[in-house]
Amino acid sequence: MPGIEVSCEDIRKSFGATDAVSPFTVTFTAGSTTALLGPSGCGKSTILRMIAGLERPDAGRIAIGGESPKVVARRGGLAMAFQDPSLLPWRSVRSNIALGAELARKPADRVEHLIDLVGLSGFAGHRPAELSGGMRQRAAIARSLISNPDLLLLDEPFGAVDAMTRRRLNADLPPVWSETGATAILVTHSVDEALLLSDRILVLSARPARIVSDIPVDLPSGAHQRNSEAEAYRAIRSGVLNALEETF
Amino acid sequence: MQRVRQGSLVLVVLVLWQVLAGAGDDNLLISSPMAILKYLAEHRVVLARATLETSKNAGLGFLWGNLAAVILAGCIIVVPSSGRFVSAVALLVFSVPLIASGPILRVLYGPGIGPQVTLAALAVYYTTFLALLVGLRAVPRSWVDLVAIYGHGPLVTLAKVRARASLPYLFAGLQIAAPAAFLGAMIGEFTGAERGLGVLTLRAMRGLETDATWTLAGLSALISILAYAALGRFRDWVVGYRPVILLSPPNEAGGRSRLMRLIEAPLIILLVLAIWQLSMDLAGLNSFFAKRPGDIWMFLREAAHRETLFAAMGQTLVLALPGYIAGLFLGAGLAALLVLVPAAATATMPVAVALRSVPIITTAPLLLLAFGRGAVGTIVVVAVMIFFPTLVACLQGLRQTPGQIADVFSSYGASRLRLLVFAQIPAMLPAFFASARMAIPAALLAVTTAEWLATGKGIGVLMALTASTSNYNMLWSCVVLLCVVSAGSYAVLSFCERALLRVYASEQVV
Repeated sequence: MPGIEVSCEDIRKSFGATDAVSPFTVTFTAGSTTALLGPSGCGKSTILRMIAGLERPDAGRIAIGGESPKVVARRGGLAMAFQDPSLLPWRSVRSNIALGAELARKPADRVEHLIDLVGLSGFAGHRPAELSGGMRQRAAIARSLISNPDLLLLDEPFGAVDAMTRRRLNADLPPVWSETGATAILVTHSVDEALLLSDRILVLSARPARIVSDIPVDLPSGAHQRNSEAEAYRAIRSGVLNALEETF
Repeated sequence: MQRVRQGSLVLVVLVLWQVLAGAGDDNLLISSPMAILKYLAEHRVVLARATLETSKNAGLGFLWGNLAAVILAGCIIVVPSSGRFVSAVALLVFSVPLIASGPILRVLYGPGIGPQVTLAALAVYYTTFLALLVGLRAVPRSWVDLVAIYGHGPLVTLAKVRARASLPYLFAGLQIAAPAAFLGAMIGEFTGAERGLGVLTLRAMRGLETDATWTLAGLSALISILAYAALGRFRDWVVGYRPVILLSPPNEAGGRSRLMRLIEAPLIILLVLAIWQLSMDLAGLNSFFAKRPGDIWMFLREAAHRETLFAAMGQTLVLALPGYIAGLFLGAGLAALLVLVPAAATATMPVAVALRSVPIITTAPLLLLAFGRGAVGTIVVVAVMIFFPTLVACLQGLRQTPGQIADVFSSYGASRLRLLVFAQIPAMLPAFFASARMAIPAALLAVTTAEWLATGKGIGVLMALTASTSNYNMLWSCVVLLCVVSAGSYAVLSFCERALLRVYASEQVV
């Protein structure tokens, strides 16, 4: 499928006296992968949680394919991967991945395929405690993909793994989710991760979050094709870093 | 090797016990293991029948009480706004000492096993409720989000995530509940049952039959410990691991408005009074024995009635308070000392856990035999009742000190004592307060039981007397006053706890 347009119109959010997100307007085109980049605590995750329907904006409107997040969630059109893999410790890898389909009320017929795809063959019967951090994160990504969502939300999914594992996951997993064609929104702290995985980078200001810079990533599609030594890559990277510097 | 060592230790204790018991020709305090075995053999039929009866009553109460706990905790999770009210009412009902509700239930039910089963249920529901609620709430936010992202609400979260995640906590509650159910059933039997270990214990106490008292105490303690251990085994099989569980009250989500804070307490009191009045009216209970709030109000308007009641309560509190403080601080103090010698702490833990599961009713007669039927004996009963749960909770609490903090102390070459004072004791405080809270109703239960069995003074005796003379107004007044004292102490303790934890464990304070 899928891929679906997501639009945020003038959304705001505050927690008590603290403004987390100031009027924020953006459209994520269907099938695109957009990275939200910004200083810690700027409100990136809050934006993602509002799009997911986990937080309600104080003002403004969010539409996913013209519908509200709750409606899309109820028909299983959303999936999210968190910084913590959030695997249920009493379930096996297979059963944890199948949980995504169970909750989305969809058949779990792609479990074995996804286990292969994320490189966990041979570990399907293992419990999360028996896996490494990187393997757990792969299982979490597979769980988010099994329901074939229209919109995939990734909240620093590789933030808690070591640099080498992160590098490998950055290379291995994007082809897996691009296979689904879902619209993806990624929150990250890493400029290189954003450059490797996305086709658009939104640099956000310090709290309350607003868009400082909207940078298209015109590079060959797929992390494997993106060479960090290439001139184009370095030019975009430097643009992103400059925009980030303005936020401090 | 470990087993051989433990076996030798048990043998040494038995030999010492036998020697000690044989020291006096006519020892009225201690029965020897041989005398207990002899009594067991001679009265095996009666004891077996009584054990079966009490176990059946305790088992039924265990089932009903825990079912109620599961339903109450489930309600709070599905309708979070009901949390504070349900918790407050649950606590208030639990605050009524079993000795107080026993005579009333006997009057309400008449003959039969009703009071025994109800008291067993009342003895277990709160600890299971509290443990389960902590467990149901102690799930990472991302697990809840994971379910919400697919458009599901609290019911699916409960079914898919919380229920399974709370199993270790549920089992912790059930383990505490098993001996408590036995205790409840025995108190129910005290109130006028025909059969059961409670009836035999009462008879043995009154007849100063030392061998019988020791045999019955040993038998009840053994059954409770076996139930505790069996549940532990079952938990290991179902859950697969043994988590450290502290029964701290769970944090309520979100703050409350100032108006809500102001009207909350009066609202809860009104709710309890309404439940009291309506349940009596709906059940059509005769107001001769089933007193309503209005009856008690009218009764207590008489100064003479108030004087009798408050004098008895005063006599009770004079004994309960030192026992409560001694039990609490000796438990916490020993835990702190033991942690200075880690090998001693490891060795003490299983013994303390086993002794914690011994119902007070079984030990109270022995303690009263040993320390006399006066103030000292009663204070010791209260202190012992509180000592073991506090010791276990505080030992667990001391282990909660984050490893990194301990590492910082080690890196500066700090002494064990310094680590204890500056890191471990602050880390223990939430566990200490959790046991201090649970100890309030426990202390009132212990003191009223001891009064009833031995001292002949205080509110425990006043209740027994008024029950036997059908002075139901005074009996209900005693129950109400005990509830007020319990709830008031709980409130004062919570205030102190918040003030202290705000400094030492701010994450525990909402």
